[in-house]
Amino acid sequence: MSVTRATRLHDDVSVGEQLPELAVPLTRTLIVAGAIASRDYQDVHHDPELARERGSEDVFMNILTTNGWVGRFVTDWTGPGGVVEQVSIRLGAPNYPGDTMVLSGSVTEVGDPAARRDGRGDVTLSVRGSNSRGDHVTGTVRVALPRRGAELRPLPGGR
Amino acid sequence: MSSRPSSRHGFAGTTALVGIGATEFSKSSGRSELRLATEAVAAALDDAGLQPEDVDGLVTFSADTNPEIELARSLGMGELTFFSRIHYGGGAACATVQQAAMAVHSGVADVVVCYRAFNERSGARFGAGVQGRPPLPTAESSQFSWYAPQGLLTPASWVAMFAQRYLHVTGATTEDFGRVAVADREHAATNPAAWFYGQPITLEEHQSSRWIVEPLRLLDCCQETDGGQALVVTGLDRARHLRQPAVVIRAAAQGSGDQQDMMTSYYRDDLTGLPEMEVVARQLWATSGLGPEDVQAGILYDHFTPFVLYQLEELGFCGRGEAKEFVRDGHLHLGGRLPTNTHGGQLGEAYLHGMNGIAEGVRLVRGTSVNQVPGTDHVVVTAGTGVPTSGLVLGAER
Amino acid sequence: MSAGTRPSPAADPALAERLGVFEGRPAGPDLEAADEVNQAMIRHWVEATGDENPVYVDTGAARRAGFAGIVAPATMLQAWTMRGYRRTKEIEQWRARGRSRAGDVTDVTDITDAAGAPDDSPLDELFGLLDEAGFTSVVATDCQQEYLRPLVLGDRLRARSTIEAVSPEKRTALGAGHFVTTLTEFSDATGATVATMRFRILRFRPGPVGAREEQRPLRPRPAITPDTAFFFEGARHGQLLIQRCASCGRLRHPPAPSCRWCRSLEWDTVASSGRATLYSFVVVHHPQVPAFDYPLVIGLVELEEGTRLVADLVGVAPDKVTIGMPVLVDMVSYDDELTLPVLRPVPDEDAR
Repeated sequence: MSVTRATRLHDDVSVGEQLPELAVPLTRTLIVAGAIASRDYQDVHHDPELARERGSEDVFMNILTTNGWVGRFVTDWTGPGGVVEQVSIRLGAPNYPGDTMVLSGSVTEVGDPAARRDGRGDVTLSVRGSNSRGDHVTGTVRVALPRRGAELRPLPGGR
Repeated sequence: MSSRPSSRHGFAGTTALVGIGATEFSKSSGRSELRLATEAVAAALDDAGLQPEDVDGLVTFSADTNPEIELARSLGMGELTFFSRIHYGGGAACATVQQAAMAVHSGVADVVVCYRAFNERSGARFGAGVQGRPPLPTAESSQFSWYAPQGLLTPASWVAMFAQRYLHVTGATTEDFGRVAVADREHAATNPAAWFYGQPITLEEHQSSRWIVEPLRLLDCCQETDGGQALVVTGLDRARHLRQPAVVIRAAAQGSGDQQDMMTSYYRDDLTGLPEMEVVARQLWATSGLGPEDVQAGILYDHFTPFVLYQLEELGFCGRGEAKEFVRDGHLHLGGRLPTNTHGGQLGEAYLHGMNGIAEGVRLVRGTSVNQVPGTDHVVVTAGTGVPTSGLVLGAER
Repeated sequence: MSAGTRPSPAADPALAERLGVFEGRPAGPDLEAADEVNQAMIRHWVEATGDENPVYVDTGAARRAGFAGIVAPATMLQAWTMRGYRRTKEIEQWRARGRSRAGDVTDVTDITDAAGAPDDSPLDELFGLLDEAGFTSVVATDCQQEYLRPLVLGDRLRARSTIEAVSPEKRTALGAGHFVTTLTEFSDATGATVATMRFRILRFRPGPVGAREEQRPLRPRPAITPDTAFFFEGARHGQLLIQRCASCGRLRHPPAPSCRWCRSLEWDTVASSGRATLYSFVVVHHPQVPAFDYPLVIGLVELEEGTRLVADLVGVAPDKVTIGMPVLVDMVSYDDELTLPVLRPVPDEDAR
């Protein structure tokens, strides 16, 4: 993946467009790395023995990490200028070590650019992450993409 | 509700049971239910010395699958002027005789046959309960909504809820339930027509039989049967000219109690009585002018043993909560105060929804029971318990 | 935590109701982010997710993309206010001690009230109740986040959560459990809201995983009429409703179109307290229908309000059941359509 790739423009998106699939090999380390990066120290995300005691088969990916992968999957497609504004996910089959999650998605709605005044337009995506057990995650993501030739109003910063 | 004077029950004392007939009692008849009904009715008419064309009325249970018209067609009865069905399962048994007697007394029919026939064991088993019943949005099926989703699915489980409370309140034990079964099976043991002919049980065997629904054990539960039973009713004047001595219908009554449910009247103040049977008993004694002391034998509906204890109390054979002493003293056996279910009952002879018990009542009055109670002038017979029910007092014409 | 700040256990109604009272309450004190939005934590995150988007690490790229500066991945939102390792450990120790009172864990003498007590927060209290009831495992099931603006380096977040809903007991593939939904508002140093989140977890009792539960035949369906629908609808919402005559106020069960005392056709309902006394019971052994577990204990109870009810009695061995024992009504969802009241024995400490 190139860090210099361009941002996808709202004008170029149409309903039904498929996002390129992203396969995520689920190693134990990847699951633990996600848990630690999200400061989630629940034992089921790093301690296989305790995870089994709690009715799970092994450690499994925490929801914050799943959220992270969904976000990355979408911004890989939008490019750097895509602004994730809403993520709504539901978890199903757990992401266990040794499995592979394949993320797929498609455009379900392209918003009217006139609805926004910041030079961007809304795009709603349906996203699914499946592993060998079924759907690990299903959800929708709304992103804002710049419009061709529009003057982008800078996004507000912090403080 | 006040007791009705006997004069209001004009059929009482003026109508009679004149014929009884049954098929064999089996676990798999191998014949259609209509054929069982046909055979039983033919046998009852033969017993009475009547022909199918003499019949102008038919009564059965709403639970029966054999339409009156099919039976009439099968036997060549010709025209009918009266046909009727009674609801509420086994509670209908004695009420079929009441309806027949009312029809005869009122003049709408002359000879009425009451019948019940089913392949209850080999076909649709009641003991399986309501699990397969589709949830139609009717008042009747909606009643099961308070029990079926919870797993209270079978007649045994519905009765067990009463029985547990009865044990708690009265101090009776499950051995007292067992004493009912032991008496039934003792009587069945000498009745060649009984399924459990030659197979008496002991109280120990009762106590060691497996739980079905605590506090009911296997030997507290009646069997399931394939078979048919029919009874012929006509006016007393005509009865005097028939083949058998007339068995007079001294009283016949139906009863539904306050807050009556179908097997699950769990919302009354007390669960140690059967108020519907009290409604029946009150009418039976008032109509017949008799009392418990005038009755020499009892046919008490025994699909499950606990309700026999309840009935002894409701009918006045003992005081409230005293049935346990009554059964401990052996009064259900021959030689006891009230030899009960001398055919073996539904536990021992057959489960014909109470109709075989009415036939035994007839035999007792005729003096032809295999376990004859000497000097029987009057017999009390009851129908299904836990449901709206009915009862009879039968007597000899003397 | 001082025990005195909790409602007296003796006053606790049925579990469903005990859980229901948490709805609408704050989850606890606001969570302050320990650190401002910073590059180090962002780097850990983007490495863990293999994210090579330059706007998270390169100021120039971020500005070119229309951001005010380096931004945090939007979906990293929760990480900023997560409790972290120390707090997680303290709370787990506290939970272990709570379970020890119930007899599951014995050697916890190293844990005292002074060390490791969690915030005396409604959410912790709710989780404590669920722990006591055996719902000790947790899994997150849903997350909805809305981001009102990107977070940039230096932002410092504060999270304020409310308990939105606590479901009646549900039967899931993982085991029986309760869903707990929280609503969280994330604000920045100026107090402005920057993101909102609805988060749902399942607290469940670890059970046999897999096919058996899923393929189990459903319980017999109730036949629902306009006279009885309220009962099953109420159950789905965690309430045991009793029909009440709108004219004379008397209660009745099973429902009927008319009041048996005053004959009024007008009625409404009242929610039962769930406190009841066992009036009779059965233990079903035979026949065994696949939708149920046997031996099956079914009780007939007298509710505190005066009406009777038939319901399964769970959480007690059949030979320990006695007429007259106090029980509490709880709600159990067996499938998407069917929720029924069940009876549970009152815990010993509550039986006074």
